[in-house]
Amino acid sequence: MWRRALLLFAPPACVLLVAILHQQPPPTPVEYHLGKIDRNGEAMGAWSGPWACVCDARTGLLWEVKTDDEGIHHGDWSYSWYREDFGVPNNGDCYFEEERCDTRDLIRRSNRERLCGTDNWRLPASAELQTLLYPQAKEGAPLIDTDYFPKTRRGDYWTRDGEKPLQGVYRHLKHGAVAIDFIAGEQVTIPYRNAAFVRLVADASKACHQLRK
Amino acid sequence: MVTFWDSAVTKYSKSNLWILFHTAAVLALLVNLSSGLRIATLRRPAIAQIAELLPDGRVHQLHFLGACALTAIACAYLLFRLYTLIRGGFRSLDWKNFDYHRCVIWGGCAVLAVSLASGWLLLSDTAALGSPRELHFAAALGMLLYLFFHGGSYLLQYGRRALLLILRPTRQPGGRLLASAAVATGVVLGGWHFIAGSAQHSLPVLRVSVSTPIHIDGAADETEWTSAQPLTLSTEGGANFANGNTPVTLRALHNTREIYFLISWRDPTESLTHLPLRKTENGWQVQQDGFHRFDETRYYEDKFAVLLSDACDFGAAGTAHLGRKPLDNKPANWHGHGYHYSDSDRIHDLWHWKAVRTNDMYLADDNFIGPPDIRRPGRRRYTAGYRKDGKESGSYVMNWQWYRPDTVIPKRLPRLAEQLARYESAGGDSDWVIPWFDFAPYAAENDDFPEGTLMPSVIYSSNRFEGDRADVRARARWRDGRWTLELARPLDTGSAKDVAIHTGTCLWVSAFDRAQVAHTRHNRPIRLELE
Ligand code: HEM
Ligand code: HEM
Repeated sequence: MWRRALLLFAPPACVLLVAILHQQPPPTPVEYHLGKIDRNGEAMGAWSGPWACVCDARTGLLWEVKTDDEGIHHGDWSYSWYREDFGVPNNGDCYFEEERCDTRDLIRRSNRERLCGTDNWRLPASAELQTLLYPQAKEGAPLIDTDYFPKTRRGDYWTRDGEKPLQGVYRHLKHGAVAIDFIAGEQVTIPYRNAAFVRLVADASKACHQLRK
Repeated sequence: MVTFWDSAVTKYSKSNLWILFHTAAVLALLVNLSSGLRIATLRRPAIAQIAELLPDGRVHQLHFLGACALTAIACAYLLFRLYTLIRGGFRSLDWKNFDYHRCVIWGGCAVLAVSLASGWLLLSDTAALGSPRELHFAAALGMLLYLFFHGGSYLLQYGRRALLLILRPTRQPGGRLLASAAVATGVVLGGWHFIAGSAQHSLPVLRVSVSTPIHIDGAADETEWTSAQPLTLSTEGGANFANGNTPVTLRALHNTREIYFLISWRDPTESLTHLPLRKTENGWQVQQDGFHRFDETRYYEDKFAVLLSDACDFGAAGTAHLGRKPLDNKPANWHGHGYHYSDSDRIHDLWHWKAVRTNDMYLADDNFIGPPDIRRPGRRRYTAGYRKDGKESGSYVMNWQWYRPDTVIPKRLPRLAEQLARYESAGGDSDWVIPWFDFAPYAAENDDFPEGTLMPSVIYSSNRFEGDRADVRARARWRDGRWTLELARPLDTGSAKDVAIHTGTCLWVSAFDRAQVAHTRHNRPIRLELE
């Protein structure tokens, strides 16, 4: 009888006890090719923040992250395409320059503040910027992983590829630069004077190098 | 080898029919107990401790199917008893053998009767009789005890022989037995099909002329509303409501283009203090109690949700999947309760009115429940099928750069300290919202607010949602312990993320009393009948 009682009641009691004692751990992040970097260039956990840059382990590129703090990285600011020698200066909208803004202004300011510990910020090549396109984006969101790249606008983002012939209504302006639109993910050539958005990139950054290791 | 028991069994054995029904009853009871306890984990932390032992996923369907089987068996048993009683007179009751086991069985039958009666009452969503939930839960615990005192004691007394007695047929199952098994299964499945298909509340949608203006202002002063037939049902299981329960009354109108709902529910407190920030010694802190697990139940705004679907299955059109990780290959949820998603490609429409974040915009969030989303590594919370419709521009943002349970850095601070004067204490009916341009970007040198300062955390960055997310107009007012909400939407928006409304569309409602996810629910869908 005692043996039977033991056989009958001990296993369920043990299972119950184990179930009560064993509580599931909270969820944890999984491996991913994107990594958050803080403004000093230190790597951060996937669920930490705020962060200032993102390193893409697939390409080794460090990307600028947009904000809504009305500072120089504010996501709503737009820029005309301008390089030392050509393009159109000061034809975009931002608050941080005396005059209006162009791509060179953002590069100069980002390098000066050593954003994420690096001072070789530049415009991305179109092939580079295209690596950020994210077809699984949520409904109505721009085609990018907004969990890593918040404050991205559904619009055109400049690349460094200039001196491209313009077509159609812009033909008379002769040359423009390539932009990637983050609505459909397409590559477009638009006049330098257009106000488009910008996401800067840096290669050979210390932050990204450390993260990839 | 003929043992003592084998010979005893031949004298004392159970008929095949008995074995069949007893086994079916045991299985149905186990299904109901395990699925019922899983449902109980939603709001009973003690039961949540053993959650790993319970089934997950669409347990409501399982529970109600088990309920049909158990009810059919109980009825059959009752009929059989009555029959023998009538045929054999009271002698057939056999008082002489009224031992311990008989006592337990009679007790068990009584508890089962309570369980079945309270279960069906729960399923009816009637507001009039008060909630039988506690009774149903107590009866479930009673049935658990019964399993021990009945099954356990037989096993203790007779060991393996007891199992042989109740499981091993003594004769070859005959044709009659198979026929009765088939009939019984047919009755249960037929009954289930009937109940699942017809157990719906019906809400007539009164037709009004296109020229009749219905103002979405929460005042509900149009005379048309008094002509619309109301439907009141009990919704249960929500945090903060008294006994988790609030009755909801619905009325509906349409003018062949738009549909209008007037919905009112009891909520003694108007909660507008949404996750406020408090200045502490170490910096600003989000006031919360559960928000870190995505299950805030204290510092949250009131909300209301309407689910619309072409499917009318139990468990919110079959989208309610309970458990920490109902999908093996998808992330778990933090609170362990479960999440909503669609098992097929079907889209279910979800309107989500929020007392702070959408009421001032005269809108409800237009969301949907679809198939489970992909894993998004940058997100701490995985919401499975519950997703937002396309949103073209910002609406509200929270006033922190990044949420952390200890301290946060606000996004923006008031330009003048006086702007915070009206938020001296949590609660009250102040608007806990700040317009973007009334505040300035955060700068540490401006952050000299005294300890204890309270600051709202919802910032409107633009006045309205645009695009798909702005299809549902909504406005509510709170007065004398009740919210009154008016809603309007085109019958057919043409969007693939919305459900077009017609006769036969099923609807569910849920009220949230300062709770992020712990909403009330009802069991039977509401079927719209357009005039
Ligand atoms: C012996 C059989 C049964 C057992 C052990 C059982 C057990 C339970 C338990 C433990 C709960 C959770 C209660 C709570 O914490 O809120 C529950 C909920 C419920 N049960 Fe049963 N039940 C049984 C039979 C039935 C029957 C016959 C029906 C009739 C259809 C029924 C309908 C319901 C309903 C409608 C709910 C509420 C679901 C919800 O809250 O979402 N149950 N049951
Ligand atoms: C059987 C009925 C239901 C059960 C058991 C249930 C259960 C749950 C659970 C466990 C969650 C948390 C999921 C998460 O954190 O992502 C949840 C969230 C939610 N449920 Fe339900 N639900 C039911 C019916 C409904 C109905 C009928 C509606 C709409 C009318 C609804 C609307 C919602 C909404 C809007 C949320 C998300 C709240 C938020 O995060 O903002 N549910 N539900």
